[in-house]
Amino acid sequence: MSHDFRPVAVVATALTPAYASFAGPEAALVMTCVNELLETTGLRREEVEFTIAGSCDYLGGTPFSFVMNLEGVGAWPPVYESHVEMDGAWALFEAWLRLQCGDVDTALVVGSGRASAGRQREVFALQTDPYTMTPLGTDPVSLAGIQARALLDSGRATEADFAAAAARALPGASVEELLKADYWCDPLRAHDVAAPADGAAALILAAGDRVRELPGTPVWITGMDHRIESHHLGLRDLTSSPSAARAARGAGVHEGPVDVAELMVVHSPEEVVLRAALGLDEAVPVNPSGGPLAGNPVMATGLARVVEVARRIAAGDARRGLAHASSGPCLQQNLVAVLEGEH
Amino acid sequence: MPQPGLPPMRTVLEYPYTRTTGPVIGAFLTGIRDGRLLGGRIGAQVRCPPLEYDPGTGAPADLDPVEVGPCGTVSSWTWVREPTASHPFRHPFAFALIVPDGASTGFLHAVDAGGPERMSTGMRVTIRFKEQRAGAVTDFWFVPEEDGAEPAPPVEGGEPVTLTEQPLSLTYTEPYHPHRVRFLTGLLEGVVTGQRSPVTGKVYVPGRGYDHLERTLMTEEHDVVVADRGTVSSFTEITPVRYHGQKETEPYIRASILLDGSDSPITGVDIRTIPLAEFRVGLRLRAVWKPEGERDISAFDNRSTGGWEGVIDRWEPTGEPDADTRALEEHAF
Repeated sequence: MSHDFRPVAVVATALTPAYASFAGPEAALVMTCVNELLETTGLRREEVEFTIAGSCDYLGGTPFSFVMNLEGVGAWPPVYESHVEMDGAWALFEAWLRLQCGDVDTALVVGSGRASAGRQREVFALQTDPYTMTPLGTDPVSLAGIQARALLDSGRATEADFAAAAARALPGASVEELLKADYWCDPLRAHDVAAPADGAAALILAAGDRVRELPGTPVWITGMDHRIESHHLGLRDLTSSPSAARAARGAGVHEGPVDVAELMVVHSPEEVVLRAALGLDEAVPVNPSGGPLAGNPVMATGLARVVEVARRIAAGDARRGLAHASSGPCLQQNLVAVLEGEH
Repeated sequence: MPQPGLPPMRTVLEYPYTRTTGPVIGAFLTGIRDGRLLGGRIGAQVRCPPLEYDPGTGAPADLDPVEVGPCGTVSSWTWVREPTASHPFRHPFAFALIVPDGASTGFLHAVDAGGPERMSTGMRVTIRFKEQRAGAVTDFWFVPEEDGAEPAPPVEGGEPVTLTEQPLSLTYTEPYHPHRVRFLTGLLEGVVTGQRSPVTGKVYVPGRGYDHLERTLMTEEHDVVVADRGTVSSFTEITPVRYHGQKETEPYIRASILLDGSDSPITGVDIRTIPLAEFRVGLRLRAVWKPEGERDISAFDNRSTGGWEGVIDRWEPTGEPDADTRALEEHAF
């Protein structure tokens, strides 16, 4: 079904470092990315026809921070814009849909967050069921611990599998050494959990003639889909991810070989679940960038996966890649994008 | 990053959420308040907590209540070694998926087991209700079955639970942004620091660390000191309404003041000593600073623009003729 869509390409990407604590406002992170994108493409800001950002006011504890972030895009002339209170990967999805309408040929997509100020486990407990879960402070790390235990009990993974995923993100780390660390949320250890960071990711999408008019190597989005599961953990099989599998089918992942995959593995056991759900065998390199366990700029982490895949394809290191983003506890919601280079 | 003289700032964000329960969750919470655990039968399955819909089809489902528990079986768990401020216990505990006896699927809740060595998948747990219950999932927790006592019989006859109240409180701690440090240090010294755009020459007070019109980052080299006198560019009289955290009771003025030498007004300035009848756009004012040592910058954080009343005792008319209001039109906010 992905073939029926208007072709849309990523024509430029920008990524800040993942800062443990960025010394400045979130809008400055956004501005750094936007300026880099405009310089790369030669576009004037007013030539960008649609702008959309993904961020979270609760993350940094700043009501209406999504409005302040627009200062990073430039407060004048007025911006035709939209926002999702989600990772920037979902902003990408909306931008891609917007370009399908045909009247707009360029879009700026941003994901940004300053996670360092808040207590992420308390912030994201607010994302759970407000009657039966949030009052208990059900945080993503604890819930990931429950998913990890379910994987161990099912025989689908071992603690060494978790450590192996973590070790790839930590230069010089060995599985044996990591397994000696103390538990944090048993059976998770601290290195199994991506440390929240500050940062931003952004890209420019183009469609139609605009793709050829802009410099650089276009990377085509040939399919994209996202699916969600119940917010009640008891209604889910935590050892698999039907929503990721369905999103992969919707995005057309299996219609060709996958040379590289960047997965939003924020807790190491998620790599086991996602590899199986997305049908990625051991031959497919997963998270060559280090992945979120090496850098987790919250609300930009998913969009950063798209940036990493697009850059590898643009550089000629891969021809066809998969970018994945997730939202909600235990991989509740999953987005899959397939990116391809020129044929 | 080191910030001499300014410790990290702390912000507490609070919202008091009140939610209606609807008939299904309402019955569930009423059951908890009364001391029983209710599931809901949908087809062949008993779900706890009960659902308003069939999770397989999404079709609406009326409550077909089934009392479940008080014991259950752990289907997965984690040992929480560092509880957060939102968790039900201050000491380490387990979060677990518990399938209550009589239910088909797991219910996420806390198990107060003492240590992880007492937790295992498949273990039996039993519910423990608090004596005082409001009708919330925080009215109970689970313990290993061998630690449990027979629950007291349910208390009948109370009004149904139809609302939940959940006060939300989040704490944020962070260093002041670098430009904010310089601005606030200036206030403690009795000077107002802005930033001059290297592109347009416009002076913004306080500086944001960037020019938001020209998309240019600004640093210490762009700092400029502006006057502590200026012109009222806009104002409003605020009549306090009651809300969570409200401290004001009497009407007061909030003004925007375009300080001399700047191109953007400072906003949210408290005016308490000039009568409303005498207050107007174009009025010239000067700041009367609090004595050095009594200046308090705690109401300024990385977010808000207000807080001037912590460092400036009051604003006084200078006695100069009013400024031309037409020139202030661009500075209404």
